[in-house]
Amino acid sequence: MSATSVPAETALSRDGPQAQTAQARRGSLEVRNLQVVYGSAIEAIRDVSIEVEPGQIVALLGSNGAGKSTLLKAISGVLGEEEGKIESGVISYDGVDVTARSADEIVRLGLMQVPEGRRLFAPLSVDENLDMGGYIADTRTLAKRRAVVFELFPRLAERRRQISGYLSGGEQQMVAIGRALMAGPDFLALDEPSLGLAPIVIEQIYAVIRRLNRDLGLTVLLVEQNAQRALGIANYGYIIERGRIVFDGTAAQLEKNADVREFYLGVSGSGQKSLRDVKHYKRRKRWLS
Amino acid sequence: MQYLLDQVISGIAVGAIYGLVAMGFALIYKATGLVNFAQGEMSMITAYIAWSIAGTVSGNPWLVVGGALAASVVLGLAIERVVMRPMLGEPVFATVMVTIGLAVVLRSATLLIWDAYPHALDIGAGREIVHIGDTGVRSAQLAVMATLLLALGAFWAFFRYSRIGKAMRAVAADERAAKLMGISAARIHAVAWTASSVIAGIAGVFSALLYDVSPNMFHVGLKSFPATILGGLDSVLGSGFGGVIIGVAENLAAGYLAPSVKEITGFIVIIAMLMIRPFGLFGEREIERV
Repeated sequence: MSATSVPAETALSRDGPQAQTAQARRGSLEVRNLQVVYGSAIEAIRDVSIEVEPGQIVALLGSNGAGKSTLLKAISGVLGEEEGKIESGVISYDGVDVTARSADEIVRLGLMQVPEGRRLFAPLSVDENLDMGGYIADTRTLAKRRAVVFELFPRLAERRRQISGYLSGGEQQMVAIGRALMAGPDFLALDEPSLGLAPIVIEQIYAVIRRLNRDLGLTVLLVEQNAQRALGIANYGYIIERGRIVFDGTAAQLEKNADVREFYLGVSGSGQKSLRDVKHYKRRKRWLS
Repeated sequence: MQYLLDQVISGIAVGAIYGLVAMGFALIYKATGLVNFAQGEMSMITAYIAWSIAGTVSGNPWLVVGGALAASVVLGLAIERVVMRPMLGEPVFATVMVTIGLAVVLRSATLLIWDAYPHALDIGAGREIVHIGDTGVRSAQLAVMATLLLALGAFWAFFRYSRIGKAMRAVAADERAAKLMGISAARIHAVAWTASSVIAGIAGVFSALLYDVSPNMFHVGLKSFPATILGGLDSVLGSGFGGVIIGVAENLAAGYLAPSVKEITGFIVIIAMLMIRPFGLFGEREIERV
């Protein structure tokens, strides 16, 4: 690599690759026996333990209301907004106990979250959204990281002065990911990045996630309903149902498991849906049209 | 014609005071989502402190202004830390009720610390008459107009270019997302309360210079509230302009209709406004596309 160009990984990480190789790689997360309760009455997740090693992509799969977002909120320290509380358990990031840390401390440690539904600052421009992602960084670092983000998402460079609330869903997701990268994280938690996007846009977003992991060494926790997509790039996966981890294994193990195939990948055990189901499906479709 | 001009110019001066207080309302609303009903009282307290300083060190306007500014900073920080921060995360209704309680406390405190009589604030400046054409204007009136312009410019730049200003807009747009970026909402709220207290304090001092210091000064809050609604509750700059419009409208109504109409003009203007543009002249419509 030439000395003049700024390699992407130097610009993104907080102290450059030297520091990374000198000490253990950063971006490891361990959640142990976590229990979260909302409004001191509703138990959202119970006894959840997951482990993410540096440089991995780990998928967390589950249906609506299974507790995926609750787990992410607990990790990022923003449960309080909805009267949620960690009743028991430990979350540690890079060996630091972050269970009781505030959201901004966790960001400073290098763990960023791309929230569900993107949650951009709608009245702010694309540039301003990116600035806010790098709120904890100084101006010079921001300029370097912005260049990396625009290299990953050239579309955003064209739209940088536009009000982010009026962008398309795909562009908004790009802003959301770019905004998180501006903080220079080692660990990126993505909450349903494919939600509501066209298949071709999902393809682009996933290509970027893979690139962030492979080229920049980011650890990724990928929360998804879209199991097929997520397992396509993940090393390891957890399945969460009604607030508990019910299954975990390598991506290959999950894809092979009969139950996972049936419930999350939409392939039934016999390999072929019965004719009656097909007819029923067709009939219903005709009624709807 | 000359009469109209006189009315308009003095209307702009009064309106500038309303505008400054209204900007304080909008600033707190934008950052915290609350309407602070103690805005007029905060401006009164600072005016009284300025009067106390002026009574001790006579003839040095800079010392009075500097002291009043410092006092307003302390007041804003103290209110945020002692009264508002414990209310963080509580329902909006409860928190707004707290500001109403705070208003009553500040009013009573004024009577306790100072007295119930009106006093003239004399800082040794601001009373000279300056002639613009045939209209005579007091220099304090000119100064308050200039201050409003300065405040409008400063806040425009603040929201557009400064890190804290942009963060304030981000917190207003989505507080949880702002937290996920490492922005501390509590700190942003403290900045908003402080800045709001300072501009309310400046308005209070000007109001004291042009009229007097009295326990009824908190009415400036009530009269500025229509300006905020007119300009848009979430628009700091719009509220500043709204103040000028209300000030001029009040003066014209008093001059051409009847003096007694003056008090209600602002409220008639906002009732009409709310029917046409419920989010105010410069307020932001919610961005609908998701």
